Amino acid sequence: MPGAEHILRFPATRAAYEQAFADLRCTLEAQAVEAKARYNVELIFEEIVTNIICHGCGHGPHGSIEVSLGFDNGAIVMKFCDNGPAFDPRGHKVAEISSIEEARIGGLGIELVRRASAGIDYQRTPQDENHLTVTVAAR
Amino acid sequence: MRIEVSDVGESVRKVALVGRLDTSGVLGIETSFVTALVPHGKHAVVDLSKVEFIGSMGLRMFISVARTMRDKQMKLVFYAPQPLVNNVLETAAFARIAPVCADAAQAVAATQA
Repeated sequence: MPGAEHILRFPATRAAYEQAFADLRCTLEAQAVEAKARYNVELIFEEIVTNIICHGCGHGPHGSIEVSLGFDNGAIVMKFCDNGPAFDPRGHKVAEISSIEEARIGGLGIELVRRASAGIDYQRTPQDENHLTVTVAAR
Repeated sequence: MRIEVSDVGESVRKVALVGRLDTSGVLGIETSFVTALVPHGKHAVVDLSKVEFIGSMGLRMFISVARTMRDKQMKLVFYAPQPLVNNVLETAAFARIAPVCADAAQAVAATQA
């Protein structure tokens, strides 16, 4: 269904995340998204939303997350909106793993998002919201 | 997420993981995974053929256990990841942490090398 958009809104809690992730998988199934693109969308959703809950607005009582999914020819556009502290993943430097001694446990998620996406854009709005747009190749 | 543990001979433990290694999956099996591998003093091979998904939480669990086993002079080898899971392992340069083999026989041999 070219041009379709689906929006998921949920509190920034682990329990709400579980339901949202189930809804995401149903949406991808309904849109007949190809296996590789589907994996990348699920990976990006997992990494970004978990990061928001763990390091962002998940610590406050009023944290909320909105994720919109846009399906168009050749691309899936994921827009993440949250009211947590500013975080621009584009500026997050991650050293490549060189050995078991030097492997860093943190930062892997952002690197996986970078590699799974075709493009990343970020804005901090005047309303103190994070707007992160991640584009995934559909084929 | 499910974990199945068995022994291959006297010196190698085999762990098969089944399901999705997303945050929920890791939280569900991490204690069992560590307990199955670390305290026994055996090398180990991990069957990834039935793992449908892995994210950074799964990688972190693997890196943490590989590091602990290395410190105890034990080898940890992974094998048979599905293609999309293997893409993530390659993205993270995971082979620099622990060997990733094509099948069980190669993985067991790698623990003896």
